[in-house]
Amino acid sequence: MDRVFHGLADPTRRAVLERLSSGPAAVSDLAEPFSMSLPSFLQHLDVLESCRLVKSRKAGRVRTYQLTPQPLKVAEGWLEKQRAIWNRRLDQLDTYLADLKEQKS
Amino acid sequence: MSSAIIQTNSKLDLVLERVVDVPRELVWAAWTKPEHIKKWFTPAPWMTVDCEIDLRPGGIFRTVMRSPEGQESSGAGCYLEIVPNEKLVWTSALGPGYRPAIRAAGTGSCEELYFTAIIMLEAQGARTKYTAVAMHGDEATSKKHEEMGFYQGWGTALDQLVALAKTL
Repeated sequence: MDRVFHGLADPTRRAVLERLSSGPAAVSDLAEPFSMSLPSFLQHLDVLESCRLVKSRKAGRVRTYQLTPQPLKVAEGWLEKQRAIWNRRLDQLDTYLADLKEQKS
Repeated sequence: MSSAIIQTNSKLDLVLERVVDVPRELVWAAWTKPEHIKKWFTPAPWMTVDCEIDLRPGGIFRTVMRSPEGQESSGAGCYLEIVPNEKLVWTSALGPGYRPAIRAAGTGSCEELYFTAIIMLEAQGARTKYTAVAMHGDEATSKKHEEMGFYQGWGTALDQLVALAKTL
């Protein structure tokens, strides 16, 4: 879940995902609408792949990306989304409280 | 003074219970002091960069969050009930002084939909059990908010992508 949010937390990556929703695409096609350098763009693709939002396949010299819709289904439903946010929030609180206690002792 | 009535609805509300191995006073401080709130309140990778707290009924609870890309979004709610070390209630549906909140589309608010939060603390020896309740309005209202663009950052993208994923 955390990884999904991280993957979605950037406009370039979201645009790539939207593009891929209409079908697989090669790196050059994906990069074309963006004015950033290719290495920077490839980093975004790496993030998406490490979040398992997309997967890639290399054929000859062409690497093609496609969506892996599975992780998104985890975040389905507005109440579940709120639950995820609150769970993350409280996880952070509990970690923080443990740190505070340690500092005091 | 009697306590306010609370009725939860499992279709609209979240009830989360946790037990932490710290005294109740510390848990209370973490929920009510800006310097603490800034350290944990916003789910990563967003951060809380500013927080204002006026701990009395009608007093402001405001946080400013920042995305990893530097996009900021703020939301101001107000406290409804404060029982030190026991119970804290605030809402995002009312602003400071109980004035009903108005959020035009595109204000960049990170408060994804109006909610009322109830935090209850209970000492269990040296430990503390806390219960966090997040109450929401009806689902139709929340859906409308989504359509109007209240969801920022991951929210908008997520909704769109979930819809897209379903069509694949």
